[in-house]
Amino acid sequence: MRNAYTRALVQRRIAFLFVLAAVASLLLGGRLVYLQLLKGDAYRALALDQRLRPVPVLAQRGQIVDRHGSPLAVSIASDAVYAVPAEVKDVPGTARVLAQLLNLDPERVEALLTQRAASVWIARKVPPDQAQAVRQARLPGIYLVERPQRYYPHGQLAAHVLGIAGIDNQGLEGIEVAYDEVLRGVPGRDLAERDAGGRVIPHGERVYLPPEPGKNVVLAIDQVIQYIAERELAAAVERTQSDFGLFVAMKPDTGEILALAISPSFDPNRYQEFPAEVRRNRIVTDQFEPGSIFKIVTATAALEQGVVTPTDTFFDSGSIEIGGGVVRSWRPGGHGSLTFAEAVYVSSNPVFALVGAERLGPETFYRYIRAYGFGQPTGIDFPGEASGFVAAPGQIKHGELLRWANIGFGQGIAVTPIQMVRAAAAIANRGVLMKPQLVREIREPDGTLIWAHEPEPVRQVISPATAATFLEILRGVVTEGSGAPADIPGYPVAGKTGTAQIAEGGRYGDKAMASFLGIVPYDRPQLVGLVMLYNLKVYPRWGGTNAAPVFKAIAEPVLEYLGVPRRYGAKEEPQDTLVTVPNLRMREAAQAVEALRAVGLLSRVEGSGQYVMDQTPKPGSRVPAGSMVILHLISEPQPGRSVPVPDVRGMGLRDAVATLAGMGFEIEATGSGVAVAQEPRPGALALYGSPVRVRFEADPAF
Amino acid sequence: MLERRYLKYADWPLVVVALLLSGVGLAVVYSATHNLPGASSPYEYVIRQAVWLGVGLAAMVLATLWDYRVIVAWAPYLLGFSLLLLVAVLVAGPVISGARRWLVIGPVNFQPSELAKVTTVVALAWLLGRRDDWDTFLAIGVALGLAALPTVLVLLEPDLGTSLTFVAIAFVMLYGAGASAWRLGLLAGLGLLALVAAVVVSRLGWVEILKDYQIERLVVFLNPAAAKYGAGWNVIQSMIAIGSGEFFGKGYLAGTQTQLAFLPARHTDFVFSVIGEEGGFLGASLVLFLYFLLLWRLLVIAEQAKDREGRLLALGVFGLVFFHTVVNIGMAVGLLPVTGLPLPFISTGGTNLITMFAGLGLALNVSLRRKKLLFDE
Repeated sequence: MRNAYTRALVQRRIAFLFVLAAVASLLLGGRLVYLQLLKGDAYRALALDQRLRPVPVLAQRGQIVDRHGSPLAVSIASDAVYAVPAEVKDVPGTARVLAQLLNLDPERVEALLTQRAASVWIARKVPPDQAQAVRQARLPGIYLVERPQRYYPHGQLAAHVLGIAGIDNQGLEGIEVAYDEVLRGVPGRDLAERDAGGRVIPHGERVYLPPEPGKNVVLAIDQVIQYIAERELAAAVERTQSDFGLFVAMKPDTGEILALAISPSFDPNRYQEFPAEVRRNRIVTDQFEPGSIFKIVTATAALEQGVVTPTDTFFDSGSIEIGGGVVRSWRPGGHGSLTFAEAVYVSSNPVFALVGAERLGPETFYRYIRAYGFGQPTGIDFPGEASGFVAAPGQIKHGELLRWANIGFGQGIAVTPIQMVRAAAAIANRGVLMKPQLVREIREPDGTLIWAHEPEPVRQVISPATAATFLEILRGVVTEGSGAPADIPGYPVAGKTGTAQIAEGGRYGDKAMASFLGIVPYDRPQLVGLVMLYNLKVYPRWGGTNAAPVFKAIAEPVLEYLGVPRRYGAKEEPQDTLVTVPNLRMREAAQAVEALRAVGLLSRVEGSGQYVMDQTPKPGSRVPAGSMVILHLISEPQPGRSVPVPDVRGMGLRDAVATLAGMGFEIEATGSGVAVAQEPRPGALALYGSPVRVRFEADPAF
Repeated sequence: MLERRYLKYADWPLVVVALLLSGVGLAVVYSATHNLPGASSPYEYVIRQAVWLGVGLAAMVLATLWDYRVIVAWAPYLLGFSLLLLVAVLVAGPVISGARRWLVIGPVNFQPSELAKVTTVVALAWLLGRRDDWDTFLAIGVALGLAALPTVLVLLEPDLGTSLTFVAIAFVMLYGAGASAWRLGLLAGLGLLALVAAVVVSRLGWVEILKDYQIERLVVFLNPAAAKYGAGWNVIQSMIAIGSGEFFGKGYLAGTQTQLAFLPARHTDFVFSVIGEEGGFLGASLVLFLYFLLLWRLLVIAEQAKDREGRLLALGVFGLVFFHTVVNIGMAVGLLPVTGLPLPFISTGGTNLITMFAGLGLALNVSLRRKKLLFDE
């Protein structure tokens, strides 16, 4: 039905359009009511949220300082350069200028500038002059921002203790991560009104929640001791061409670590340039077969148990059969008859095998080993500590007794250097084992003390009497035994040397580790230190010749620095008529001869080799000036090397065997009596391990 | 005498409301553009808008100088001319943001689709005035066919929002010319159905009527949330700006979302959001009321028109202003999909301003000549 086009129709239609316009207006108005009046609050909050973008403000990271407050790790504000690639106008030009100003590779910068990212870091920790140059260049799209950055003012000093903090001021390794929560502080927030481009609006709303700065960590480390330790250790590692060297010093009465050095070291300011292996704190994280230095555990356990006394006599024939295996003495032919104390001086393996496996027995021995803290973490405040490994009695199915015999002289067990030095410190601390501590105090940035480390005794391992007795014996190691190079005039050193073969893949290969465990002054211990030189390559590779001098070189200036007075015992004071024979063992032959001449004694050299193995009369003997001292020389046998054959003519069978074996030769003896002829002849070069034929005839004197 | 007639019969409320809206427009444009990056001075946009406003007022006066019946008689030429320009755009217009919408004539950028809006109103008035009965499908088809000429040409630019303007104008004018609501409604429904069918057919891959990107645009057109970081993001920002204005607004030049550049296209598509933020509910509803007054005056003029052409002219202008206003504000408040239609008298853009004032001029023309003056004939 069609509508007639009438005036009424027109009016109706216009009225309808009017209603349409009114309804539309009301709908839109209603929507305004909804948005602005009903939801206004919510949209106002949304709008504020958009503008108030919180920017975290990094807290100033706490300092790490040494025990006297000297800063080792600090936070400094440094400039970082970043780019907003979308805003960079001339990419190659900008890249060229930036690369020149910041000493970067232009191609790398150009690659960064063309990244599809909102912003990219060009360089961080930019030196102030470079930052200023970049600022002045006014490159479009290139910005600078100031960020607190970790800075280690002494470079590699104590690097293995400090560890590293990352680019965002988070602890990554070492004390930096162990005490990260303390050091980190609480980040603040800068709530500023910002426009759509992120720029802060002047006079806009601004809420600034200031960051809470991190607290300072005071280490037990003494910067001076640490410096001396690192210097001497690095020199020793270079001299001995070791893979690496370790030194750790403990204050025996508190368990505080005074120095912890590992060489080669690294600079935490440029830590990315060093492999993780170099950054590892091996003193805490790595475990080693300790070798002879472990004899301090066997010996003190045996003395405490009363199964030996220092004067008990043993006979070291060169080897001992025990538990179905053979334990050999490091000295070919053995050390003969000797007291227990002498067995410590000369580090007799057969004696310690016997004491460990039979006198103590696995159960008792194991109990002491555990009591000294081996096989479990020491609880030092440092991440990634290793436990070491000690098999419990009964855990080993075959040849258990032989295993315990081996443990008696430090094989078949894995220990960390921190465990080893702590055990020695316990002996120096009247038998009380302490928990090692790297951190001494925690302080507010203004210096207010928050927390102080109280020494934490763990347990009494041996009696004070046993400890004192054994310290005397260890003193003897230095005055009369293999530890001589460690002795310091006026600072009586006690210690134990170690020369351990390094086991690789379950077999002892050709690598060796030289070590020295020292306590000084032995009767009033101030410092207990452990030196380890891993896979050293200069011969001989003994602990006495290589590690002991390092201990001396560190301990002497350190004790002076600590103000420990030097003391000279009666024995050391020169006298007119009688001369004390110095301990020349493990000295170089030329040095020994010189040392004897200096005190007015004559010398005669027996055997051939670089080093003094033994001497007659014994060290400490009182002889008239001008007396003759016989030096028995030795070289450490080196497989595959030719060595001069010693002259054994005139010797009895036993001496000849010892002399030849000492140089690594086997003997093919004929006849009896005294040696009258040998082949090869004396002084000729012969391969190590090759046989020497010696003919003996009855001594015409008889 | 012309002057006396102006004074006596001109629809002054219409002029006053338009001038008020234009005044608001200048103020809002300044607020939205005084810190726009890339501008040579804080006044760059507002000065240009003021110049266009002057040109628009001149166009309004010009459109009253000849009797509207004379102008309607020129309709074939006017429409032909603007269709020619639309073809020229498709051939010679530069591609800006993926579309050809502009003709560059010397220093002036000219949008022929805007001119076509007015000439289409005139042409439809001419066509619909030629007979009485428009309530047949055939007649409706003829009128829609005429409107389809500019619609298709603008669709090809492509500019979906503007092309739909022609359809809206045609429907309003047909309704005013007597076509019954149910016929128009049926046709509108069928058109929508055809669109859906085209999408479905293209999606199923039978016949490629619509290209994928066109479907994409349709999807965004129908559902802006589908493009969260494009049109959808803009709508969210617009709603935050308006909503956070609350009752009294944040004050002139003090709208945080506007001044801090959170609000996109704040001097063009989303100019109403600036009003809502800085003027609050008070300002926004007042502006809304001004538009309502304007539309009311246009309907009054239509009602009082002395003849069919005059009434249809006024209704066409009503349709033009109504469609732009509702679609633009509806988009700003998040009720309608995002299309690029400007807000009449307020959004920057010279051609649109001139078009709107020319349209008002036509309506004024109708109101001036609503009485048959004895001495004039």
